[in-house]
Amino acid sequence: MMLTVVGFLVRAMVVLTGTALLTFALLWNAPGDPAQAIAIARFNAVPTQDVIDQVRAEAGLNASFWAAFLNWIGPLLLFDFGNSSVTGRPVGPDLWVAATYSFPLAITALAIGLAISLPLAILATRRPGGFMDRFAVAIASLGTAIPAFWLGLLLILLFAVQLAWLPAMGARTPTHAVLPALTLGLGIAASLTRIIRSGILEAWEQPFLAAFRHRGVSDRAIGRDHIGPHAAVPVVTVFGLELAFLLEGVVVVEVIFGRPGLGSFLTSAILARDFPHVQAVVLLTALVFVVVNLIIDVVYRVLDPRIGEPDA
Amino acid sequence: MTLSAIGLSAMRSGRIILHPTSVEIEPGARIGLVGASGSGKSTLGHALIDALKAQGLQVAHVPQSPDEALDPLRSLAFHWHEAAQARGLADGAAHQRAIFSALKIDGGDLRKRPWGWSRGMQQRFVIAMALMGTPDLIVLDEPTSALDPVIAAATMNLLDRHLERTNTAMVLITHDLGLAARRVSHLMVMAAGRLVEEAETGKILNNPQTSEAKRLAAHRNWMEVPC
Ligand SMILES: Nc1ncnc2c1ncn2[C@@H]1O[C@H](COP(=O)(O)OP(=O)(O)OP(=O)(O)O)[C@@H](O)[C@H]1O
Ligand SMILES: [Mg+2]
Repeated sequence: MMLTVVGFLVRAMVVLTGTALLTFALLWNAPGDPAQAIAIARFNAVPTQDVIDQVRAEAGLNASFWAAFLNWIGPLLLFDFGNSSVTGRPVGPDLWVAATYSFPLAITALAIGLAISLPLAILATRRPGGFMDRFAVAIASLGTAIPAFWLGLLLILLFAVQLAWLPAMGARTPTHAVLPALTLGLGIAASLTRIIRSGILEAWEQPFLAAFRHRGVSDRAIGRDHIGPHAAVPVVTVFGLELAFLLEGVVVVEVIFGRPGLGSFLTSAILARDFPHVQAVVLLTALVFVVVNLIIDVVYRVLDPRIGEPDA
Repeated sequence: MTLSAIGLSAMRSGRIILHPTSVEIEPGARIGLVGASGSGKSTLGHALIDALKAQGLQVAHVPQSPDEALDPLRSLAFHWHEAAQARGLADGAAHQRAIFSALKIDGGDLRKRPWGWSRGMQQRFVIAMALMGTPDLIVLDEPTSALDPVIAAATMNLLDRHLERTNTAMVLITHDLGLAARRVSHLMVMAAGRLVEEAETGKILNNPQTSEAKRLAAHRNWMEVPC
């Protein structure tokens, strides 16, 4: 147990440091002059060479790569994300504000995805190969094939432009979140439907099911108490991938719908070469990944304790 | 009432593995189903259960392997509770303790999942579940193959007493004629998906008619174990 915890912390450290180093290197070596980009973003005008040089010195871009990297990661160990190169404000609070837009959106989308995919998959697997099943598979394939930016635009055209039921751009009221959450949620519903469906079908192959029927256990109880847990194991396993899809989707959707949040925060930071901002978002994302994967690992072991047992 | 199933058959991957077979079982009868490995004993057992269930009869089944009877993700206590509920019985702690101690699995931790017990213990747990309530027939598929001779004998004795008391019929599937000789009154011999001979146990052992029965009877003596 102690070993598992230590192992997890070591793994988390490696992932986080690796991510930080890689992003820093990518930004550092990206074509173009970062000082110029920062200056343009800061003053919203074409800057003179003097101004650019001043910005370069301020942002610590004169230093060598390693000096600059250590300069940034040092304070981070004390949870200090530093100051924005563009606004000069501390990164932490701004990051927090962005997160309060993005995380609720992501969680709502996930909830929508589950609320659609779970009943659909259960209905589809009642009669594999039947009408409902083929319908669900077709919808799910279509859903995974449609990119989020396109689906988002379609929803805007239909609900905001044609029907004028819902606002499309911004985030002033909660109704502004409906279309973005739906865009993301439908994509998640599509891929989850496929995963849950195949999980359930796989679970029906278990060799012990006939014995439970002979024992007089109802189909309902078999589905709930035996198919359910067996189907959940593969679903939980691929949930980490679903999360990657979700984070990527949040960025796209926030840009399409002009919503503030981590996605908009990240894209504007990349354009302005705002190193501290980009790094903060990337690290936060990596942290979410590490934590979610830890949770998945724990859930997995609770569901099927044979995993990780040396002599199972 | 005589249990009867007519025209049982089975096909797998386009091959007939059980040719049409009819089976009649008197109430309380003890029948042994013997034959070489792969002759279709388990297949006939399954077909018989399905047919009797379709007639609305209650049949308890102890499959050949505990993997066919227990969910590896659920605790043994869950299995027990679920089976009791499915038969509309109260959990019956006293009854459970008596059966478990007769089967010598009272030391096992019911909170564990099946793979936390040895296969022999799992097998006896499945037998204990089959002894719940009063089914019309109990089909046991190699119930003692994973057990040592002493525990096998104790298990068979318990079964005997239980079947006697409840007047339940039994089909005992085995390729151990020594076991069959002691425990059943009738034998059904299978070969290549067919029921080839059916008679009283003594008749088949002393005067086998078909080559399959002769082969089995010839091997009987040195297969004999004390149970
Ligand atoms: N799923 C399957 N696909 C193809 N053939 C099968 C399948 N299941 C069983 N068989 C075949 O059916 C025949 C009978 O199998 P069965 O399990 O009933 O034999 P058995 O008499 O119980 O053997 P054993 O004593 O080894 O348990 C075997 O020849 C086997 O190869
Ligand atoms: Mg068999």
